[in-house]
Amino acid sequence: MKFRLPTRIDWRTPDLPIAQDDTTRFLPWLMAFMVFLAALSIAGMFVLADAARTLDRGIENTITIQVPAGENQRADEERIAGAIAMLKQMPGVAGADVLPRERVVQLLEPWLGSAARSTEIPLPWVIDVQVERANAPKAEMISALLTPYITGVQVDDHGVWLRSLLRAVHSVEWIAIIIVILIAVATAATVVFTTRAGMALHRDTIEVMHFVGAHDAYIARQFAIRASMLGFKGSLIGVALAGPALLLLTMLMGNLGFGLLPQIHLSVGVWLAIATLIPVAAAVAMVTARATVMKSLARMV
Amino acid sequence: MNDVVRFESVGLRYGLGPEVLQDVSFSLDSGSFHFLVGASGAGKSSLLRLMYLAQRPSRGYISLFGRDISTTPRHELPGLRRKIGVVFQEFRLLPHLSAFDNVALPLRVVKARESEVKRHVEELLAWVGLKDHMKARPSTLSGGQQQRVAIARAVIAKPKLLLADEPTGNVDDHIAGRLMHLFGELNKLGTSVVIATHNEALVRSSGKRVLKLADGEVRILENIADDDADEFDSVFAADRGRVLL
Ligand SMILES: Nc1ncnc2c1ncn2[C@@H]1O[C@H](COP(=O)(O)OP(=O)(O)OP(=O)(O)O)[C@@H](O)[C@H]1O
Ligand SMILES: [Mg+2]
Repeated sequence: MKFRLPTRIDWRTPDLPIAQDDTTRFLPWLMAFMVFLAALSIAGMFVLADAARTLDRGIENTITIQVPAGENQRADEERIAGAIAMLKQMPGVAGADVLPRERVVQLLEPWLGSAARSTEIPLPWVIDVQVERANAPKAEMISALLTPYITGVQVDDHGVWLRSLLRAVHSVEWIAIIIVILIAVATAATVVFTTRAGMALHRDTIEVMHFVGAHDAYIARQFAIRASMLGFKGSLIGVALAGPALLLLTMLMGNLGFGLLPQIHLSVGVWLAIATLIPVAAAVAMVTARATVMKSLARMV
Repeated sequence: MNDVVRFESVGLRYGLGPEVLQDVSFSLDSGSFHFLVGASGAGKSSLLRLMYLAQRPSRGYISLFGRDISTTPRHELPGLRRKIGVVFQEFRLLPHLSAFDNVALPLRVVKARESEVKRHVEELLAWVGLKDHMKARPSTLSGGQQQRVAIARAVIAKPKLLLADEPTGNVDDHIAGRLMHLFGELNKLGTSVVIATHNEALVRSSGKRVLKLADGEVRILENIADDDADEFDSVFAADRGRVLL
């Protein structure tokens, strides 16, 4: 009888019957749910980031000046031309133009309807001032400059309210990020409890594996592989459900046609980010299961 | 130091109970062969558990292969355990694995090549008379068959120390003889063997040394046929009395 110890090569075998037990049955469904929520949050994050970019571009560099219409159009035009000349002299002003009447009508139409076209209503004049972002003049300064010449001038710096809107959008983005992190933590916690239950169930087997000389890592790997497989399956389901849900949401939003909301558009980037949830969830499950097993095994004899 | 096992003043108690083992001191040379005898409940299984690192002593010093187990870091324990083959009193076969996979376990945890695993395991299972039961789950095997699977698992990796708890308890004399022969062969190759048993005839006919466990202490009986005959007899007196009743 000669039994030689064979040479080592990497060979994997599931010695633990983890696959057959009940402890892991709900894991994929929990994972699916978590990944579904994470996918929605991520899509939300992207949409908000998009909106923020659009707003950011809007802040760029325009100040609008309204001049109430006077009795006489010719006189008005002269005063406007004078104002534009003065504005162009101001430091930080790149250019100033009067908006064509037709454009003003278009802008007011949503509010006034066909009345906007009526000559009965005195439409204000609108001057668009392009400013250099770095040293743009303050609205009050322009107002102070023009008021002596034109009564009732009204200066709007869009930047001010756009900036506060932008701040709000950024904080919602942070909330979405925190939600994704919380989801990851909840997922990991689920894996921890599932793994512990599995270990309790297979305690005898684990002991025998130790007695025959298995390293903790050998045992942990079997739990880790199993958890990552379940994580993969679960996140696949989650993403598969999130896809149609997001498309439906976009469609509904598009139909409502809020003028105020930026057009919701799910870019390739969003879908890629959501797709990476699958390997990420599998990896989270694997690492967590491994760590859980290693930690509990360290307490065994 | 040629000791495979060394115990010095080892004590063991379970929880708050009395000391099952008190002041146990002995050492086993490499290549030695001992039977471990003692009345039921004397602590034979407990002593073996200490030796295969399933249990830590409450006090005292234990070394295995020259290493103090209390200072051996956890990640080096598998290395020690791989040198120890164990036949458990209650077998402890993995119920979801076939006889083949159970026996293959010690080779697989050291990542042996699968072709080697197959060759060794098949050869050994055939040797213990289970050629036709390789694929059987333990639950479908008889007690004696399970015991042989357990023994095959214990010896497959050619351990330096073989510990067997009642390995011949469930088999007929013919199989018992074969198993003893297997242990003997392993012993000839240098493996130290400790077999806990109640089988008086087996111990007598072997003429091997005896570790006698009584009152929580261990004594080594060198020659049970002669000098230590009385001491050896005393172990089984109680058992014989029970049989007579
Ligand atoms: N896990 C345990 N917890 C508490 N007490 C235990 C435990 N295992 C064994 N004992 C006690 O330790 C003592 C020795 O038990 P052990 O199993 O070592 O005896 P043994 O000599 O192997 O007996 P047998 O010949 O019947 O197998 C017994 O009194 C038993 O009740
Ligand atoms: Mg026992």
